[in-house]
Amino acid sequence: MAQRNGGDVDGWLETASRRLARTTSRRGFLGRIGAALFGAAALPLLPVARAAAQPSRAPSAPESGDPASCDYWRYCAVDGFLSACCGGTHTSCPPGTQMSTVTWIGTCRNPVDGKDYLISYNDCCGSTYCGRCFCNRNEDDRPVYQPGKANDINWCMGTPTTAYSSTVALVLGVATDGK
Amino acid sequence: MRKAGAFPRRLLATALAAAALLPLASRAADSLGQVETLPAQPGPHWLWVGDILLRRAAIVDGGTGAFLGQIPGGVGIIAPLRSPDGREIYLAETHYARGTRGARTDLVSVRDAVTLQPVAEVEIPPKRGEHTSWVGGSALSDDGRFAAVANMNPATSLSIVDVAERRFAGEIDTPGCALVYAAGPRRFLSLCGDGTALVVTLDERGAEASKVRTARFFDAQADPVMDKPVRRGGEWLFVSFAGVVHPVDVSGDAVRFGETWRLVADADAGWRTGGMQNLALHAPSGRLYALMNQAEQGAHKAPGTEVWVFDVATRERVQRIALRGPAAAFVAEQAKIEPGGALDWLLQRALPNDGMERIAVTQDDAPLLFAASGFPSTLAVYDARSGAHLRDVREIGIALSLLQLP
Repeated sequence: MAQRNGGDVDGWLETASRRLARTTSRRGFLGRIGAALFGAAALPLLPVARAAAQPSRAPSAPESGDPASCDYWRYCAVDGFLSACCGGTHTSCPPGTQMSTVTWIGTCRNPVDGKDYLISYNDCCGSTYCGRCFCNRNEDDRPVYQPGKANDINWCMGTPTTAYSSTVALVLGVATDGK
Repeated sequence: MRKAGAFPRRLLATALAAAALLPLASRAADSLGQVETLPAQPGPHWLWVGDILLRRAAIVDGGTGAFLGQIPGGVGIIAPLRSPDGREIYLAETHYARGTRGARTDLVSVRDAVTLQPVAEVEIPPKRGEHTSWVGGSALSDDGRFAAVANMNPATSLSIVDVAERRFAGEIDTPGCALVYAAGPRRFLSLCGDGTALVVTLDERGAEASKVRTARFFDAQADPVMDKPVRRGGEWLFVSFAGVVHPVDVSGDAVRFGETWRLVADADAGWRTGGMQNLALHAPSGRLYALMNQAEQGAHKAPGTEVWVFDVATRERVQRIALRGPAAAFVAEQAKIEPGGALDWLLQRALPNDGMERIAVTQDDAPLLFAASGFPSTLAVYDARSGAHLRDVREIGIALSLLQLP
């Protein structure tokens, strides 16, 4: 199973990301998190961190499909090696790695209930490239200068090293803008 | 009976004969420690070929298919920059003391372009950003004096290195903007999330002289430009997700935005330009090469099955080049089937063509078009004028990345 790594700031950021994602529209969420992450420096992260007053409750989504396959519904905007093929699962990183807490966000349609879900693609870091199940799908992906939605970026940030290994796909919640 | 003393005399004679032969033997034997060097200037058909998993940039001669050498990188983007005089290669690198862990060091290394040996290095802040296209991660000012490395942690900035004095010149914040492209003798350009560009001008010491946001030149929400432009002289060509060309003129004091034009006509509905490196430009002829696909989702980065060639002056499409499929090329390589034969023909038709991810074009009068795929790694070489397939460069790597002219 994945272990929580990183310092308090990382934990705040993760919790804040989840809370914002659940409680705002997709566009609004992206705008805020994008502005926060892509601000002048590290300081703009602090308002997001202060928003993290409540611990997150993991949302659940009905499931179908093979998380070790690039066709799996959560992977609609993934770019990397699938953790599920590398000793982890689609929600946990392989042994010997750390999960990044700063991520990019996609919106994928769940084939079971037909709803759109916000998906957080967290990178697994601190090891070498896994090299298995490379998967690159780019639904709603944006360029690197719009980093909150850019799957090209190595998101091993806030982890002990930036060495990238693989990627997981966590459900943050149902997208609420009706898409 | 043999006389006493005869044997030692014969032994002596043999030893003398052997000694006499020694110089001949040493002339015939290979000498130890020979290491090749490269010509002072790159060949017209050379190409840097990056590899994410092998963590290197290799030099390949597309005219012969020969593998000429390589330079290793560390963690992250490996995109060599060549000095204007051709003598040095600058490479932004990130290393951890114990491979993937331990103390992090970011630096710009300097290598001799003939020996490929490192001759100097300049440490920079450990903030270098990494992204998978490897385009726009670093740039050299047009006068060759300063290298700029794009940082993202996730705050964005540029690390400036004075490559002449082998000196870190400083860090310049680029809030809201990312990546870096050369835009003048002492000037760089970054793209911003609101559809503008940030123009950073350096002073004589490499410090920030000015930092100016341009007007908006694209719609960042409705149709953002891709971050993989090509340059012809003083003009960059950015192409949007929908295939609209946005010319950006960096030749004057002020950056100017030219009239936009479209790569995809109404009659070509369903086609999109995309890929990890979807544009190439033959500057002498003004021919723009665009990798094209028919993907329904994520077309801006989907592999392409054709290359469309445009005349930048007339904005007309002048050619379509169908690309061979990477799966067939990979199987042919594994089975040692030469291109052009019946088995090769059969493989190309029997196996699906998932498309190529990157293209590049050489700048000589007989230009070559390269097309590469990452998984499996294949590199095909075409005559850029006729579109004829010339060869596949085999065993080129295991996870191909940036294609870059030397």
